[in-house]
Amino acid sequence: MLDISSVNYDAIFRRYDILVEAKEKPEDIAAKILPKDALLKKVAEDVVFMKYKDVEADTKAAMEKYKPEEVIEKALVKGMDVVAELYGRGIYYLPHVMVCADAMDKGIKLCEKNIKGERQTKGKIILHVAEGDPHDIGKNIAMVLLRSAGYATIDMGRDVPVVDVLDLVEKEKPDVLTGTALMTTTMSAFPRISERLAEKGIEMPFICAGGAVNRAYVESFPMGVYAEKAAQGPVLVGKAMDGWDWKKIRSKWDDVVKG
Amino acid sequence: MAIKRFTKMEYKSADDMVFGEAKYPLTYGLGQKIGAGTVVPEINFAPRPGAEKNPATLTREYVDYITKDILDRAVTLGFPAVQLENEWIHQMGNDPEKFAKPVVAGQKALMQKYHDEYGIALSIRHTCADPRLAEKGLRPGMDKTHMYPEKTIESFEVAAENGADVLSVETMGGKEVSDYAILHQDIKGWLFGIGYLGSMDMEWIWPQIVEVAKKNKIIAGGDTNCAGANTSMFMAGGYLDKDIPRTFSAVTRCIASARTLVAYECGATGPDKDCGYEGPILKSISGKPSAQEGKGAQDAHADLMGNLIAQVCDLWSNESVEYHPEFGGSSVACWLGVIGYEAALMNTAKQLKQDKLLRDLYAATDSYRSPEGFCLRYDNAYKIGQAIVEEGNDIYLRSRAAGLKAAELIAESNAKGGLKLSKHEKDMLNKITTDLKALPDSASKFEEQCLKEYKNVPMFNPKNYGL
Repeated sequence: MLDISSVNYDAIFRRYDILVEAKEKPEDIAAKILPKDALLKKVAEDVVFMKYKDVEADTKAAMEKYKPEEVIEKALVKGMDVVAELYGRGIYYLPHVMVCADAMDKGIKLCEKNIKGERQTKGKIILHVAEGDPHDIGKNIAMVLLRSAGYATIDMGRDVPVVDVLDLVEKEKPDVLTGTALMTTTMSAFPRISERLAEKGIEMPFICAGGAVNRAYVESFPMGVYAEKAAQGPVLVGKAMDGWDWKKIRSKWDDVVKG
Repeated sequence: MAIKRFTKMEYKSADDMVFGEAKYPLTYGLGQKIGAGTVVPEINFAPRPGAEKNPATLTREYVDYITKDILDRAVTLGFPAVQLENEWIHQMGNDPEKFAKPVVAGQKALMQKYHDEYGIALSIRHTCADPRLAEKGLRPGMDKTHMYPEKTIESFEVAAENGADVLSVETMGGKEVSDYAILHQDIKGWLFGIGYLGSMDMEWIWPQIVEVAKKNKIIAGGDTNCAGANTSMFMAGGYLDKDIPRTFSAVTRCIASARTLVAYECGATGPDKDCGYEGPILKSISGKPSAQEGKGAQDAHADLMGNLIAQVCDLWSNESVEYHPEFGGSSVACWLGVIGYEAALMNTAKQLKQDKLLRDLYAATDSYRSPEGFCLRYDNAYKIGQAIVEEGNDIYLRSRAAGLKAAELIAESNAKGGLKLSKHEKDMLNKITTDLKALPDSASKFEEQCLKEYKNVPMFNPKNYGL
């Protein structure tokens, strides 16, 4: 092989990721957000630092002093707020988020067993992958991020027929519907869903995302709101829960996703 | 058909590998020669949304628009040979007789016309869809909802009987576990999903594809771990992406190569699939022609080895482009120009006996841009190939060996200041090495452990793999 030792690679490519590599420590950022109460803090730390084995015992301990709803909101979800911050700053990577979310879920399940009636969530989201499309990793990531942000999610899975989506939306009346697709010829299910929902008099933000999906396409049919990546899900859904309709979210999209 | 494992390298040294030459060249299609002294551009395309409305609209899109534009541009620019690739859309695989048959036949008829009129060497690869869903069942008789396993096999038959020259597929076996493993940075889970379950799934499907190809006197090409290793690579992404560390995707790619090799062990002859970036490793082991994609595939995605990955290719591809207008003509015509001119550069270098120099220049530009590119650099690809064949008879041990060798090569380069790893990349590499070294020494123990450890992974059903 050619001797390449004299190549000055700084002139060939730049490692911008290393240049801007975060120097902050997760502990320092967590300290600014975590609850002060020792019991709640312990639970939140279990989530942030992926202490999967400790989270149940610490959640039980916290529930001796606080209501289960409070443990969810002030400790488990708060812990995920820290995780989201760390992810946003590039200190945590996506797999960290997934493992943290697993820990949060474990705690939430325990709390839910102790809640009388149904747990109040921020809103209800139905997720699906377009008919004919088996690629569901993006949908799965979005679901974890939405759950972590305090939303109830209904996962319809992948390769979901249009008619099944319509039936479930009619039955469950979600606040937001999401659809993902990797292929150009499967994403055409989205305008069909939008059209059929409109015929039924149903209107809601329909967040569409995926490899082949682009903003111009999603904005070509009513209700369509584009998401470039799964991480934008919670912020876009958040606007819907603030009362914004799909037209307003779409018109302010750039500001929303930047924020 | 008996599966014949690779236990030795077909190339005596890494330096024997170069683009446009394979130890086992192929002749097929309309005067097409692959790996026989030239690199051939392979153009891939996708119809516009809505074209799938009915068989007539789909056939018009594929034949009258896409194929005609490609053939016109190939003749216009004077390309001596072109391979087309049709990656089937869902509708074609879901109803092959109705949606695929007229497309396959129509494309071939038009190609025959141009071949007869201009003498241009032409061939077409049909990459049939693999829509099988783990949650419904991967084997015949299991999926009562869609009958996807049965339709997958039927797809190959329809393609082969109506004009395909090469059969390929991007099999999905093990993806339910590998997706989980990617999201949890779990190299053991990846090895189980792709190295083990993925290999088993290929052992089921590839003898059937080879049989169909033989019956119809066409080529059983090869596979790709697009569903797994490309998911990993694209999530690792470039320097703005922070989803998974690139050391993870590099090691997953090398493990995937031990799995994609199974197609050849079942009787496939190559060329493998363009999006299988593991191609250089496969070529080093098998001597079979390889299709690759890089800088000429920016229509589909960005990667960190756009030049490097051209180093030992026999077909040079654009991955896939949706049909749409550009200033210079339709997208398929424009991207054929990009890959066709690159092939012309490679072929000129061959005639001037500068091909190894060009190969090394390709390799040099991206040597240290990412750990994955570094592992696929032909000298390193060869070393990973050696690690695989040393354990060639055991799909588990060879997958583990590929992963360990990749981790070792990356660590060595980082220590010498070649690859410069970020903190995340280093931490992940250390974890991978520790985890792989802790794995058991036998496939049976590994299987026993994994069946317990991953039993609750959503959609995972051991019965899909005969376990």
